[in-house]
Amino acid sequence: MIAGVVALLIFGATLYVIFTEKVNRTIAAVTGAALMLVSGLLLGFYTEEQAIDTIDIETIGLLLGMMILVALLEPTGFFQYLAVQAARISKGRPVRLLVLLGSVTTVLSMFLDNVTTVVLIAPVTILISEILGMNPAPLLMAEALLADTGGIATLIGDPPNVLIASAAGLSFNDFLIYALPIVAVAWLTALFLLRHLFRRELAVSPENADAVLHLNPAEALDDWPTARRVLIVLGIAILLFFFERALGISPAFIAVTAASAALAWVRPDIRKILEKIEWSVLAFFVALFVLVGGLEHAGVLGQLAGLVAHVSSANPVMLGVGLLWLVAGLSAVVDNIPITIALIPVIQSLEGSGINVGPLWWALAFGAGLGGNGTIIGSTANVVVASLSERTRSPITSALWSKRGLPVMLATLIVTTILYVFAFPYFTR
Amino acid sequence: MRISDCMKRNIFSIQKSNTLGEAVRIFAERHIGTLPVVDEKGALVGLLQLRDLLTLVMPDFVKFIEDFDFVMDFGAAENRQPSPELLAQKVEIHMKPPESVEATSGLLRASALLHKHDLHDLPVVDADGKLVGIASRVDVGTAFLKGWTISQGGGA
Repeated sequence: MIAGVVALLIFGATLYVIFTEKVNRTIAAVTGAALMLVSGLLLGFYTEEQAIDTIDIETIGLLLGMMILVALLEPTGFFQYLAVQAARISKGRPVRLLVLLGSVTTVLSMFLDNVTTVVLIAPVTILISEILGMNPAPLLMAEALLADTGGIATLIGDPPNVLIASAAGLSFNDFLIYALPIVAVAWLTALFLLRHLFRRELAVSPENADAVLHLNPAEALDDWPTARRVLIVLGIAILLFFFERALGISPAFIAVTAASAALAWVRPDIRKILEKIEWSVLAFFVALFVLVGGLEHAGVLGQLAGLVAHVSSANPVMLGVGLLWLVAGLSAVVDNIPITIALIPVIQSLEGSGINVGPLWWALAFGAGLGGNGTIIGSTANVVVASLSERTRSPITSALWSKRGLPVMLATLIVTTILYVFAFPYFTR
Repeated sequence: MRISDCMKRNIFSIQKSNTLGEAVRIFAERHIGTLPVVDEKGALVGLLQLRDLLTLVMPDFVKFIEDFDFVMDFGAAENRQPSPELLAQKVEIHMKPPESVEATSGLLRASALLHKHDLHDLPVVDADGKLVGIASRVDVGTAFLKGWTISQGGGA
């Protein structure tokens, strides 16, 4: 009993500090994890071995491998090249530019980290907008919103998906079968809505439309030999993701092996590449695993399973839709990674009480992904475009996001809910 | 050699209560890169640099992208104009700290200060802090060269 209360207090206090952003989230989580382990040892509910066992090496390995591949690709100018090509094909017409840049960012973020993709595409977007003499805000917001939406479609598109896949035993193809069709409709909804919401900004016909045709893609791609090598390795890795089940290998194994192969082929300055790895994100994950593991071993999650036993009598469709909107609402105001990590054991405990949790995993994935679109702080990609735009002459404000981003979140959620209800029988495998 | 031996003595300056527009006119007419800001007594109180003025109309993307040599035509960004409100602002708002060197300093000290504060031109002041001259990187650099011993054939 005491163990449970202490574990819950430490977990709650850590989440509070993370959500109020008074302390850096990684520092908060690492401190919380240390406290959890210390009290676990003192009260005898959590040992060091148990703590290490809670760390999901699948998630960490997959994230690390993909981060290394992106770190290798980033300095080659490949992302810049894609943005420049999109601008040329658009011929400087704002609506086409929005669709093309949004699509490029989405496709990249389906296979790479959303944040990295936006960090690399957004500066070139500002450049293209200034050459055309148009406001970059619609393009930047479209990139962040579409990338976050598209990222839900694949196992590797979004950190919550990686966590959910690992916990629920979902494969890469499961995401393509169950998530991709729904996400595709939500994505198109977002695109049409953005085009409508920004109709005034996009109606201007730039005087210097020809200038974008003079952007030189060959100059933008600084290091084609390296880019080619990394893209070949990345392509093979993505191909292997499709066959992970048939081959009996895990996504983490594919990602780490691909990263090693790319490192061996490119032979970069390893220190520079390792500097680009987001160690703080990886440490954040490890700390959250240890924290939630403490809750589990203190028996809190077992208690919770007893509580939700009532819920099991509820309508399963309502339960799924309720979870989807609850997670979306939470994700709009706080980081979706801790929400996902905290809810995974809850869903697992529901499974223990005999509920078919298949649909709940998808509700968690959709809610965590789409909820982030509602506010600037809802997703890191949003924060990136907003803080970049603050340094330009046309900043993206919270008020603007409420008028343009929030409707996108609500519309995509409504569309996703409808499709979710129709697809419900398929989710109950 | 002293910095006072190679500095320019014909100096243009401005007061901090003057407007940016007035400063722009002096920069363009006098073809200079740095305009010292002085008080009524001629003491140095700040520096206004050509590049600070240029930054005011630079496109925003230069803050985010280091290499943009793939842009052949800058389109709308090429002909950006500062707003009248901006040009009406006081010099005081845009000036940098008054870095300077004493007239009695040697060339290496001047080089060190130019480098440390990332300046193109270094104001030279007397013991009372009054502006007496200004020396550019080229003035200091060529003053060094004048001190070298070169024989007739061109070799040392």
